[in-house]
Amino acid sequence: MPLNIIICIKAVVLEAPDGKVIRTSETCALNPFDRPAIEMAIRLRDEAGGTVTAVSMGPESGSLALYEALAMGVDHVVLVSDPSLAGSDTFATSTVLSAAIRKLAPFDLLLFGTRTSDSDTGQVGPQTSVLLDIPLVTGVTAVTRKKANFIVERKIDEFIEEYEVALPGALTIHASALQPRDASLMGLETAYGQEQFTLMTLKDLDILAEQVGDNGSPTKIINMQRIQKKRKCEMIQGSVEEQAEELVRRLKEAGHIG
Amino acid sequence: MSFLTTKHTLVRRSVRAFCERELQPIAKELDIEARFPWDVVEKMGKLGYFGIQVPAALSGAAMDSVSYCIVIEEISRACAGLGLCVTVHNSVGVYPLVAFGTEEQKQKWVPPLAKGERIGAFCLTEPNVGSDASAVESTAIRDGDHYIVNANKVLVTNGAVADTCLMFVKTDPAAGHRGLSVIVAERGMQGFIIGDLEDLSGNRANAVSSIRLTDCRIPVSHLLGKEGMGMKIGLAALDTGRIGIAAQALGIAQAAMEEGIRYAQQRRQFGVPISRHQAVQMMIADMATKVDAARLLVYRAAAQRDSGGPFSKESAMAKLFASEIASEVADMAVQIHGGYGYTKGYPVERYYRDARITRIYEGTAEIHRIVIARSVLEEYK
Ligand SMILES: Cc1cc2nc3c(=O)[nH]c(=O)nc-3n(C[C@H](O)[C@H](O)[C@H](O)COP(=O)(O)OP(=O)(O)OC[C@H]3O[C@@H](n4cnc5c(N)ncnc54)[C@H](O)[C@@H]3O)c2cc1C
Repeated sequence: MPLNIIICIKAVVLEAPDGKVIRTSETCALNPFDRPAIEMAIRLRDEAGGTVTAVSMGPESGSLALYEALAMGVDHVVLVSDPSLAGSDTFATSTVLSAAIRKLAPFDLLLFGTRTSDSDTGQVGPQTSVLLDIPLVTGVTAVTRKKANFIVERKIDEFIEEYEVALPGALTIHASALQPRDASLMGLETAYGQEQFTLMTLKDLDILAEQVGDNGSPTKIINMQRIQKKRKCEMIQGSVEEQAEELVRRLKEAGHIG
Repeated sequence: MSFLTTKHTLVRRSVRAFCERELQPIAKELDIEARFPWDVVEKMGKLGYFGIQVPAALSGAAMDSVSYCIVIEEISRACAGLGLCVTVHNSVGVYPLVAFGTEEQKQKWVPPLAKGERIGAFCLTEPNVGSDASAVESTAIRDGDHYIVNANKVLVTNGAVADTCLMFVKTDPAAGHRGLSVIVAERGMQGFIIGDLEDLSGNRANAVSSIRLTDCRIPVSHLLGKEGMGMKIGLAALDTGRIGIAAQALGIAQAAMEEGIRYAQQRRQFGVPISRHQAVQMMIADMATKVDAARLLVYRAAAQRDSGGPFSKESAMAKLFASEIASEVADMAVQIHGGYGYTKGYPVERYYRDARITRIYEGTAEIHRIVIARSVLEEYK
């Protein structure tokens, strides 16, 4: 049975901003935690046939992440972009993504990375799945087919949990699941050469302006401040042996070694 | 930079990530052992690095020349010898086959080359032939459906690992440069002999060697273009090749500059990082300005080639300038490192050696000045 896979990806900012975030193709990149999920999507498609569609919500500069996904081997990409979406928190983002995914339905599998390198909430995958009312397993490290369903593995503490997931279902893929492939030059060239890119704006979705952007966001960032790390350097005196012993004693005392 | 699109940003990131993971960590070892990294080359082949501008129908990536430069620049930033391998293979090894080959020849040779399953070489230089290509002494004498080729080629980039070699030979020794032709010789043919590796000063990951053909019988179907077209093919190949060597020099300069700046910010003398001393800052400013200027010239030459117009002068300027600043920047990076810069403990010593040859191969700096002057004088006639 060929699979229709949708994967949600994001362009993250490369460096922590000192003030307002300016997103350009130079300052943004595909979220590194999305790469293993893309790899998973491509491998599942290559085994079963079907298509992989990557969806991203964000400003125009986010298209870079989508082109990179195309270069890796994704079939279609959708950028959901609209000035009214600016300021969306994870809930508003999930509202938008679920609305876009309804437009792309039917699908069999919905994949996410576990988190992003710039905001690190891990909320978008679970929230979107809830809004779509489909089963979800988070932090998945392995996926195998069992007839019409999937068996998925999830590592948690010292255990491996196994779930059987009915389709359509959602998975967030753990970064350790797979080594993502490098984009080939052929992939990079054709990513930009073909018409696999769809742009959606708010009017393409069945949601209201009040549900997105600042208005649709129940959480607000009030303030953000860089943490000042206090470091101090101490010189340990004595012979090499004495220094080593003193160092071990102090590390033990501080609870860094057992 | 107006030559660059977001595609180019992605190409750079992608190739840089690959090279920093696969090549940079072993570059020092490859240099010391003069070892060609087959495993990395195999991966590069799968990613399309050996057919960067080859049409998709011939298994290439069909990219533009600016992308080409970025790929070579990034490989060379990690390992100059591999940058040399890839650019020579693509530009003077494969491009002439695509541009001058018959349909049959292209189908036969180009796809395996573009996939990196076979490696290409360009064999012009001989013991008595360098800047003056018309003086080639190697011969190909027609014998029915074959040529009997006797050739002695030296300083062949990729020589010891090459499968498909463009041999510059005289099919009519009496006709001077009009008797120059290109014949494709393949490793494994009877009489095809690979000589010892050159013990190079830099670019040591490249298997530069001599190749000798002794009474080697090569089918007439291996002639590229027509008899007597050797000079034309050679010049077209070198126009393209020079952009690649310019990009290689740029990559070496970039690497040297980065190491110079990094060291200047770490090393403390007189109570402050040496980057706080004005004399060191002057070198940093010069390095950055020279690297940027070279990059502009290199991408302009590439963009000019993509536009379809003539680009000989632009590619010669880019190669001349980038190769000269590569040596200057590497020299400054060594200077910033002080005594440590002269040891193998730091990579700047390698960049210094790697940079030097870019002023010599694919046309010396002197020959480039002649080419540029001729072109400029023509413009102002
Ligand atoms: C690492 C490496 C890789 C190489 N790879 C290849 C390869 O793949 N294929 C290949 O065919 N060759 C290759 N070469 C050879 C290289 O291209 C030649 O060394 C180069 O073209 C110069 O030729 P030459 O060494 O014979 O110097 P010569 O031509 O003898 O020149 C010596 C000096 O005289 C100057 N000179 C010569 N003629 C003139 C003139 N008319 N006016 C002013 N000055 C002049 C030159 O600029 C130079 O300074 C390689 C060399 C090296 C070191």
